[in-house]
This record gives sequence, structure tokens and C-alpha cells, in this order.
Amino acid sequence: MRPLSRDTFHILVALADRERHGYSIMQDVHERTGGAVRLSPSTLYSAIKRLLDEGLIEELAERPDPDNHDERRRYYRLTKAGRRAAAEEAKHLEKLLADARSSGLVPKRS
Amino acid sequence: MLRIYRAFLRLYPGEFRDEYGRELSLVLADRLRDESSALARVFVWLHALAGLVVEAPVEHLRVLGADVRHALRLVRRETATTTAAVLILALGIGAATLVFSLANGLLLRPLPYAASDRLIALDEYSPGDSKENGTVALPNYADIRARSRLLDEVGVYIPSGATIRGNQGAEVIRTATVTDGALRALGVQPVYGRLFTRDEALPTAPRVVIISQQLHQRRFGSDPAVVGKVLETLNQRYTIVGVLPAGFHFPDVAEAWFPLRMDPAKSPRTDYFLQGVARLKDGVTVEQADAEMRAMLNQIHAEHQPNNGWIGRAQPLRARLSAQYRDGVLTLLAAAGVLLAIACGNVANLLLVRASARRREVAVRTALGATRRRLVRQMITESLVLGAFGGAAGVLLARLGVPLLLSLVPIALPRWLDFSIDGRVLAFAVLVSIVTSVVFGTIPALGLSRTAVVETLKSAGRGLSTGRPQRRLRNLVVIAELALSMTLLAGASLAARSFFALRMQTLGYHSSDVLSFDLDRSERGYPTPAAQRALLDRLRTDVGGVPGVESVAFTTGAPLDDGWGRIFTIEGRPVPLEAMTFVNHVVVTPGYFSTLGMPMQQGRDFTAGDFDARVLIVSRAFAARHFPGASALGKRVRFGPPKADEPWHTIVGVVADARHGQLKGEDRDSVYLPFAAEMMPGVMLVRAASDPKPLIGAITDRIHGIDKDIAVASALTLDEIVDRRAWQDRLLAVLFVAFAALALTLAAAGFYAVLAYTVSLQTHEIGLRMALGASASGVRRMVMRHAMTLAASGLAIGVVAAAALAYLLRTQLYQVSPLDPVSYAIAPMIFLLTGALASYLPGRRATRVDPLVALRHE
Repeated sequence: MRPLSRDTFHILVALADRERHGYSIMQDVHERTGGAVRLSPSTLYSAIKRLLDEGLIEELAERPDPDNHDERRRYYRLTKAGRRAAAEEAKHLEKLLADARSSGLVPKRS
Repeated sequence: MLRIYRAFLRLYPGEFRDEYGRELSLVLADRLRDESSALARVFVWLHALAGLVVEAPVEHLRVLGADVRHALRLVRRETATTTAAVLILALGIGAATLVFSLANGLLLRPLPYAASDRLIALDEYSPGDSKENGTVALPNYADIRARSRLLDEVGVYIPSGATIRGNQGAEVIRTATVTDGALRALGVQPVYGRLFTRDEALPTAPRVVIISQQLHQRRFGSDPAVVGKVLETLNQRYTIVGVLPAGFHFPDVAEAWFPLRMDPAKSPRTDYFLQGVARLKDGVTVEQADAEMRAMLNQIHAEHQPNNGWIGRAQPLRARLSAQYRDGVLTLLAAAGVLLAIACGNVANLLLVRASARRREVAVRTALGATRRRLVRQMITESLVLGAFGGAAGVLLARLGVPLLLSLVPIALPRWLDFSIDGRVLAFAVLVSIVTSVVFGTIPALGLSRTAVVETLKSAGRGLSTGRPQRRLRNLVVIAELALSMTLLAGASLAARSFFALRMQTLGYHSSDVLSFDLDRSERGYPTPAAQRALLDRLRTDVGGVPGVESVAFTTGAPLDDGWGRIFTIEGRPVPLEAMTFVNHVVVTPGYFSTLGMPMQQGRDFTAGDFDARVLIVSRAFAARHFPGASALGKRVRFGPPKADEPWHTIVGVVADARHGQLKGEDRDSVYLPFAAEMMPGVMLVRAASDPKPLIGAITDRIHGIDKDIAVASALTLDEIVDRRAWQDRLLAVLFVAFAALALTLAAAGFYAVLAYTVSLQTHEIGLRMALGASASGVRRMVMRHAMTLAASGLAIGVVAAAALAYLLRTQLYQVSPLDPVSYAIAPMIFLLTGALASYLPGRRATRVDPLVALRHE
């Protein structure tokens, strides 16, 4: 499988715990990365379209966001394949990190 | 802010915008609401905009990629349609690219000289004839050079030839006689040595020459110390003062340049034989230089009488050099454009038919949510893919076609002409391919997308049924194709008829069995008129003795090869200089007329006793023009301007008319003078009993048997000389006929295909009619009526378009009117025949439809 891009991976992670609409994904990525990653609306929806095409996420019926405004939103959630892809990617990243640690590039966790 | 953002959403492909446009604005609105400060909101907005600008093209590429993949799948699946379409496009684009590469070489490519856009040609022309490529008189040139404030370098030149000698034997080369300013204006820098100085143009200056790099290599082994060595011609020795770089040629194909050793003060102002070239000063336009030339010449004429009123002119050098080809190339471009349009129509029809076959697919896709915009976009991408293949094949065809075309040119073309396929030609081909693809892609896309989804799905049983708008589109395309090919056919027929008229015209002499030898002999070997006469006599006897030779004569210039025009006065009828006309002035030996087969009509032929005599033979046209109803015999004529003290010549004979000066257009009247001491002819005409070509070797041997230093510059039959004069017309006719043949084939194929397809769609209707008692002939009539309606509409429009094209062609035509009825009749006849044929077969098939089978379709 093709390695996931950074943005794509962030989106999959954001959808790991629950289904979200676009803005919620954006906010989650922002908070989770401590403000380091801020997706633009265009980047977000280009990625969403690609993930939909690849079958990694799926779209749910439109519904209003309960804790926010009354506009109807499209919600997305991970598919099985999406969850697997994200897990694969995480494992891959872990291995990279382990390699970096054993080579002394990154201090080992005490 | 949001409104601006929404406007920017248009950058996305329509599909994506429809799908996510609302979401994008919503998310941005949320983001903006969550920011408290105005500055932060501006940053958020800019960030969103930047993201959009980056992502939108990516989305476009994704759509394009998908469409291209889809198109390539179709290409593989529908091999027959694809192959046909690509072939047709290759022909259309290939023809257009081929002609464009000619136009590019002639009209667009910069001349191979430094800063060539600042080079201009100078000339004078007679007020009645501004189209004529004029020349400059030497004293006028000297004045122009002294007076001009807008020109940097001014020079004159005249193409010439020379026979050079050396240990490699004699060789006849093309040369030019120039003044120092000509080479400097062209901005050429010598590889060795220097250019000419001003003093070297004086008659008293030492004899010098500048040679080309090729000549340097060929005759001097590229010796770096060549400057100061001697180039020997038949009559003179010239000291080499310079070598010009490889690739420099001017004019045409010259390989050596001699200074014009003439004193302007001693040259008459009516002697027009030089061509002018100059370089504009920085910031000066051609128009300014032209105005200056005009003013200078007015001034010069005012100062010197008599005044012939000729007008000074400056024009871009390229325009001057390409003037004779320009109209022909533009006409061909138009013809190629028409052919391309026909190819376009054919492919459009192919795709229309295919589109009908794909109506179900489209309907299903539409039902599944594909928008019309999306489908059109995809169809145009498909067309572009076809266009790309067709364009590539077309460029390949053009590449092969250029050398093929050039092989039809019997003369050495000027070296500045470069017809190779360069970036500009490629860009043209790409542009043409894209425009073509969009045109032929849009036509079926329009028809397709109007398809009512529901109707198509409902009529699922009759998979082939087709909507009315589609049928109308197909018919329109066919009518357009017929009209366009009618245009081309008429044009081709005009060009061909003009060429044949030109080639088959009565020249007035035997052209197939007469050889023309251009001889160059040393003046030192024959210093006196008596010695020269003796040589001519020897040649006549010896060459006349070659088996197969019937007669031999000499002249100053073979017919069509050398038009020497002179002004003249008839005794007792003085005319002012500006009213004087030109005649072809031909010097001949006895036997000239019988050798060429020109019958005497009155008076007598020249005899050996006429050497140096002041007698004259005039053409029938000359006699009829100046002595209508009276005999010309005994009248006297004098050549040169009014006050010249040239001797009078008495007319002793009238001979039949013959083409002398030019092959095309109004020829001047001709007068023939007997050879004289001061005008020894250099062209030997030999008439053979049968095909003269095999005699060339034996005749050349006889010539060299008399004097091995006599150089034979050329040995051609008069037919070949005519061919050399008519090559442009032949090229035009060949290309035109080829284009028309292609157009006819394409249009006929398209016509047939549409008729056949229409009949196949009407299977049901025909079956029903026949079941209800319609006769087979009635059905055939119905099909025929459809065909003839199409053909007649196409032809009616075509006639009008053809007249427009013919108007463009008119300057190229010879003795054929642009509205020549035969040319306009040929095309419709060919078409009605094609139409009849194209409707006969489908019509017959229609009547064989078994009503039961047809009805079962229901």
C-alpha cells in the first residue's frame, strides 16, 4: 500500500475515535498537533475526496452539528480499510521511530 | 470575505465544486467565526485562499487523468473508429503543417543575416506598375547613398555567374556583383581578410574578389593564407581579399562576390539593372525610409532631365525576396485550411455516429448523476487524445512531405529558404491539433448532451434510435463538408487548368527538340570580332556535324532565360521618355528562326552578310501594334532614350510571335537584331531530329574539341527551361489537386457514411412503409431525395465559397478566369456522381429490408 501523506494520516487519526464533519476534523488535527498542523479547507476536502475514492472513509447522511450551529453538515467515518491503513501507517511510523532511537538519533524514552 | 472566497471556488472543476463547494465555504465560515481578532481572520482567509489555489489545479489534473485513461480505453476498444479518425486527422493536420512550414520558411523565419529585421530593399518602379520588383539606376544609387539620413549602409548588387579556372579544371559558379555597401549592410564579417573598400568599386581599381567558405574549401583546400592569392576566371585574374563565413549566401546562392567596377557619373540614369539593399539606422521605421526614398528620388528626378517619373521605394528585404512566392503560399494555406475543416467534419461525423451508439452508456451515466458539463468535458478530452495522435502523425507526414515537395522544384532555391520543421511549425501543429480537437469534439458533445435521458432509457428496445437534433447535426456537417470540398475542387481545377494553359500555351517555337547551351569563353582567346565570328562558324559546322543535329544558331539569351528590355523610338514618331515602352531585344545569328521553328511572315531572314548591319526583324505583334494596316518593312527604329545617338535600324522582316521575356502575363513585343561586333551571342541553340537529350555529351565533346577552355554553364532543352519557369505553378497545381483529391475522398466517404447510417436508422420506418405497400423504387427515391438535398445544399454554399477562394487565387492564374465556368462545373458533376453512388447502395439495401424483420425491431 502507498504510504499515506501527513495530512491524510492526520485526518484518519481524527476520525479514529468518532465520526466527524469537516470543521471538526480540522479542529481535532489542530488541537492534537498542538497547533502545528492547520489544514486549509481546500487541503481538507481534496484529501477527503481522495479518501472517499479510495474507500478509506465513508460519508454518512447529512445532519446538523449538535453542539454548534444549525447548518446541516456531512459526517465522515473510517471504513474497515481506513482503520487498517491508519494502523499500518502507525506501525510503520513506530518502526521508523524505533530505528531512529536505536541509532541514537533520538533519545530513548526513560 | 466569504463572497470573494466563493468566487475563487470557480477555479475548481465543476464536479468538485458541486460536491464540496458548500462544505468549503461552511468550514471557512466556522473558522472565521472562531477567530476573535480581525487580523487573525485575515490570516485564516489568506490561508484558505492559498490552499485553494494550490489544490484546484491538482483536482483538475485528477479529472484530466481520469478522462485521458477513459479515452485511451476507448481508443483500445474502438480500434476501427480510432484508426479512421487518427488517419483523417493526420492528413488534415499534416497538410496544414506542411503548407505552414512553407509559409514559415518564406514569410516568418528571420533571414540568415545579422539583425535581419533592419534590412530593407530599395528600388524604383514605374508609376503604372507598383507590383513589379523594380531596380535602381547606378547614378541614383550613388545619390541615395550620399543623401540618405535614415540609412546606415546602402549598396547595390546584381546576380551574375563566372567560369573559374584552376588545376581542378573549369567550373561555372553563381556569383554576385556588388558595391561595398551591400555586404556591409548585410552585416557579414569575413573569416579571413576584409570586405570591399569604396574605391574598389571604381573601374580603375585593381581586380579583387571575396569568396565564400564553400569555394574556399573546394578550390583552395581551406588554406588559411588564401588572402592575396589569385582566383582565375576565363578572362581575368582576381586577387582574393576576403573569405565569408559558411552559410552566408547573398543573393540566392552566390559563392563569390566581385566589386561593381562602374563609374556612376558615366552610367545613364535610365539604365535600370541593379537591386538595392540597405540597413536602417536605429529607431528608423521602414515607412520613414520609404518616405525618404520617395522624396530623394523626386528630388533626383527634378535635378536631372529627362525625367521618367519613376518612384523610389523602400520595403523590408524579406518582403522583396519572398514577393514572388507570397500569393501562392497564402492560397495554399487557405486550401490546407479548407482540407483541415473537411477532415474535422469527417471526424465529427464519425464521433457523432459513435455517440449515438453510446447513448445508452451516456444515459445510464447521467441517471447515475454525471452532469452534462462533466460529460462534455470528458468527450472533449477524448477528442484531444485523438487530436494528439492525429497531430503527431500529421507532423510526421509534413516532415516526409517537405523533401518530397522540394524534389518537384527544378531549380536551386535561394539558400535563405529553410522549410525545416522548427519550433514555430511545431507550435502551429499543436495549436491546430487542439483547435481541431475542440471543434470536432464539441459538435458530437452538443448533440449528445441534449439527449433526453428518460427517452433514451425508455426506448431501450430500439438501441439505435436517434434524436432529431443529432440527425440534423449530421446533415449539417455533411453539407458543410460538401461545400468545403466543392471549394477546394473548384480551386484545384482552376490551378490545374491554369498550369496546363501555361505549360501548353503556344510558345511560338519548338521547345521539345531544341537544346540551349550556355557557353562561356575566354575573351583573350578571341580578342577580335573576326576571331569570335570564326569561332561561331567553327561551332556551327562541328556541332552541325553531330549525327541527329538538324540546325545550329546563336543568340544572346535563350527564350525565357534572359529578357533584355530596351526602350526605343520609331523614326518620325518621337515620344517623351516617360511614355516609352519596352521591347525584348534579342541578338541572333542567321538560322535562329528556322532552328526554333518560327516562320517568317514578311520580308526576309538574316543572312551572313547582315553581320554588324543596321537591320532589324520585328515580331508580328510589334508590327501590328505600331504599323496597323501597313507594312513595317523599311521603317526605322532606334534604341535607347530619346536623345541617345544610337544608330537607326531598318526593319527587313516580320516573324511570328514567340514567348521571350516571361512565361506568364503579358509578354513584351520582340525585336531581333543581327549579331554584331559589340554583341556576340553566348547561347547556342541546337535543334535535333528527335529527343535531343542524348546528344548533349557528343555536342559538348565537339565544343571542347574546338577549345577545351570553353565552359558549358548549362545544357537544357527549351522544355526544361519552361519547366524551370513554371515550377511555382506546377507546385501550386500539384498541391492543390492533391488536397482536392483528399478532400473529395473524405467528403465522399463522409457523405456515404451518413447516408448509409441514416438508412440503417430508418430500417424500422422503411419496413413499415413496405409492409404498407410502398414500392422498392419509392423507397430508393426517398433515400435519393435525401442525398440530393444534402448535395445540392452543399454545392450551393460551395459555389459561393469557391468564388471567394478563386478571388485569392486570381493573381496566380494564367489565362483562366477566376470564375471559369468549367472549373465550377467539374466539381458539382463529380459530387452529384458521388452522391448518386453514395445513395444507390444504401438505397438498394433499404429496399431489401424484410418488413417482418424490420418490424420485429419494435
